[in-house]
Amino acid sequence: MGREGRQREDLVRAREEISGLRRRLAQERFAEELKDALTLAASVGEISSPISHSRLLEMIVQTAASVIPSRAASLFLIDEEAEELVFEVALGSKAEEVRKFRIPLGHGIAGLVAVSGQPMAISDARSDPRQAADIARSVGYEPESILGVPLFYEEEVVGVLELLDREGAPSYSSADMATLGLFANQAAVAIEQSRARGNLAALLGEALGTAGGVPDHRREGLAEGARSLSDRMEEDAAYQRALELAALVREISRAGEEEHAACRAILEGFAGYLRSRPQDRDDLGLGDFG
Amino acid sequence: MDERPAWSAQFAPDALRTLTPVPPLDEITTGWAWGGSTGAGVKVAIIDSGIDAGHEAVGRGISGYVAITDGPLGLLQDTEPHEDSYGHGTACAGIIRSVAPDCELYSVKVLGQRLTGRGTTFAAGLQWAIENGMHVCNVSMGTTKKNFFGLLHNLADRAYFQKTMLVTAANNMPVPSFPSLYASVISVASHEGLDDPHLFYYNPEPPVEFGAPGIDVRVAWADGGWITATGNSFAAPHITGIVAKILGQHPGLTLFQMKTVLRALSANMGHAKTG
Repeated sequence: MGREGRQREDLVRAREEISGLRRRLAQERFAEELKDALTLAASVGEISSPISHSRLLEMIVQTAASVIPSRAASLFLIDEEAEELVFEVALGSKAEEVRKFRIPLGHGIAGLVAVSGQPMAISDARSDPRQAADIARSVGYEPESILGVPLFYEEEVVGVLELLDREGAPSYSSADMATLGLFANQAAVAIEQSRARGNLAALLGEALGTAGGVPDHRREGLAEGARSLSDRMEEDAAYQRALELAALVREISRAGEEEHAACRAILEGFAGYLRSRPQDRDDLGLGDFG
Repeated sequence: MDERPAWSAQFAPDALRTLTPVPPLDEITTGWAWGGSTGAGVKVAIIDSGIDAGHEAVGRGISGYVAITDGPLGLLQDTEPHEDSYGHGTACAGIIRSVAPDCELYSVKVLGQRLTGRGTTFAAGLQWAIENGMHVCNVSMGTTKKNFFGLLHNLADRAYFQKTMLVTAANNMPVPSFPSLYASVISVASHEGLDDPHLFYYNPEPPVEFGAPGIDVRVAWADGGWITATGNSFAAPHITGIVAKILGQHPGLTLFQMKTVLRALSANMGHAKTG
């Protein structure tokens, strides 16, 4: 085959690639998800919060442990590949020691919460030989009471938020369980944001073909796909509105601390008003089936 | 903020609704419902993390085992006796036997140390229970994945028509969890009463229909141990035990009849019902 023939073949392949990408972006939910992720990442990036994602998670866990007085607290994320729980945040006197552990599933309350997706509290953990006793013993800390709730991200359990040793009460109450559930939702949102940013970076990296050795026709196809997506996003009114709002917040935040505080107070007041307005949807999370 | 876990608020003492009896439907007594029944002859499957047959709380043995795992070659079913990976299934077994000591228990193990295929193995466990003629099935778990909604809904309907009663724990988190939200199951959340394992409430505003003890319950756990635990997981087995006792006395009841009997016996019914 001559050079011209090869070029023609490449061209045909590139066209197929592009139309394939277009089909995927247009037809599958993938496009919707990607768009949501990009919108979120863009607005978060615009506000450019000085708090890193891991610091945010740590603050959520700290607040949970002070609202529900506890001697120690942890946030685990699930490593699906290794079938293990990984400490993302560990607070308490033995935090440094436990942080290096990974917990295989099949151990303790955290593992049970992870596989069952059900929150659980136990109050005489020391008498239970399986409360990850190997970890507890090796760091010299055996909790008496434990409360664990799942973290949900897109219907999946992605982690577990756990409090150890309730202070001021012999055990965690069902009200504590409900409260910790609210913190778990906050943590899930923080994780969601960090993953959205990760997606954006991955997508841009792929689209620009930064990795060497990417065949030209493939790079062209990906670039075309990214272009068509960004074209569509630029036309999207919701995305534009989110960006405009984020840009305003950024501008005000940079004006000074007082301005930042005033902006925050106004937004909080407005959000509070929105939350207090009567809502049509019931509070059971069943809106999707209504 | 609501002071109770999701789904359990309706069983708080100040929120409980008194039911108006509908005679003669609501004149059923415990004497009629289960009399001297101990659940003998009733097959009860526990879809969970396995059962420790040697635990003192489990009492008389386990009638059958199946462990379902998702491997590279598809689903595997192992009918050899197995252990309990967590203690959770043993806790359920202990509660059921405390109410219906002579029921036949079958351990359907779907919770292990693997996360992959959770929804698939769970659905396969339900299918096993339906196809193997279980009368009652304790389901102290569920899935939040919407792509299992249809499959589990079909299985729950099959169970309904084949008279396999699914007793399910509502998820304490405010997320939709299946199959506990289907009308074809008996869904259960917690109340804090501990004195009487037979004491339960009916909620006239479902989806969660029944409230049973699930807060600070003393339960059997792994390696022969005992713990004090809180969760709807421990409320459901109380109702499972009661259902087994009623089926021991009245074999062949349908699910809609069973719900009528349970409503009549609920502690918030507006008349006394002993005898």
